[in-house]
Amino acid sequence: MARILIPTPLRQFAEKQDSIELPGVTAGEILTGLTTRFPHLRKHLYNEEGKLRSFVNVYLNDEDIRYIGREAAAVAEGDTLSIVPSIAGGGNV
Amino acid sequence: MIHVEQQPWREMVNHASATYPNECCGAMIGGIDGDRKTVTVALALDNVSQGPQAARYELRPEDLLRADREARSRNLELIGIYHSHPDCGAYFSETDLKNSCPWYSFVVLSIQNGTFDHANSWLPDADQTHAEKEELTWPES
Repeated sequence: MARILIPTPLRQFAEKQDSIELPGVTAGEILTGLTTRFPHLRKHLYNEEGKLRSFVNVYLNDEDIRYIGREAAAVAEGDTLSIVPSIAGGGNV
Repeated sequence: MIHVEQQPWREMVNHASATYPNECCGAMIGGIDGDRKTVTVALALDNVSQGPQAARYELRPEDLLRADREARSRNLELIGIYHSHPDCGAYFSETDLKNSCPWYSFVVLSIQNGTFDHANSWLPDADQTHAEKEELTWPES
């Protein structure tokens, strides 16, 4: 089992839980398990092509899964996944 | 609506003034009670934009992860992001919109000639095409 942390604004789609324990041996399995259990979360995390939205990063403990195999990143018992957005901007264009 | 308490508000304004003429950015942490969000902690974060920081900001996702952990450790919530607009209004720019995330409140502080002028809070949509203005209050507002 691994734990996935739910960002505050998305908890309303996950029965108000701040984290969830899910079975799985890859980050993809954990994410699929999450959106299967809470289908309303899917549109907030994935685009219409079924890919993670451009601003969505997933961390396995302290590492961005993009650098450790993406959704194939191996998850061990007791690991923690976090959903973290990319944020940037600026005033004058 | 979102209310920022005195201490975090002072820290946000001081941060924005200190980084002038560049943009600053940070995380807002606090509590949520129904439709009311209250910011009790402001966390100044690094602007890591590789572009001209007078007109651009970028947060490290790792720093946001740290802010979320900080919030959880205090039994609080990560409520939003703040950043400054040096010498321009506290609008939500096209750049802000295209690089936003619909999950959080975005407080923009307008700094004119190094001094706080006004602020607004924005709620961007999931398609990054529109941001709705959110009522923002602070002790002197």
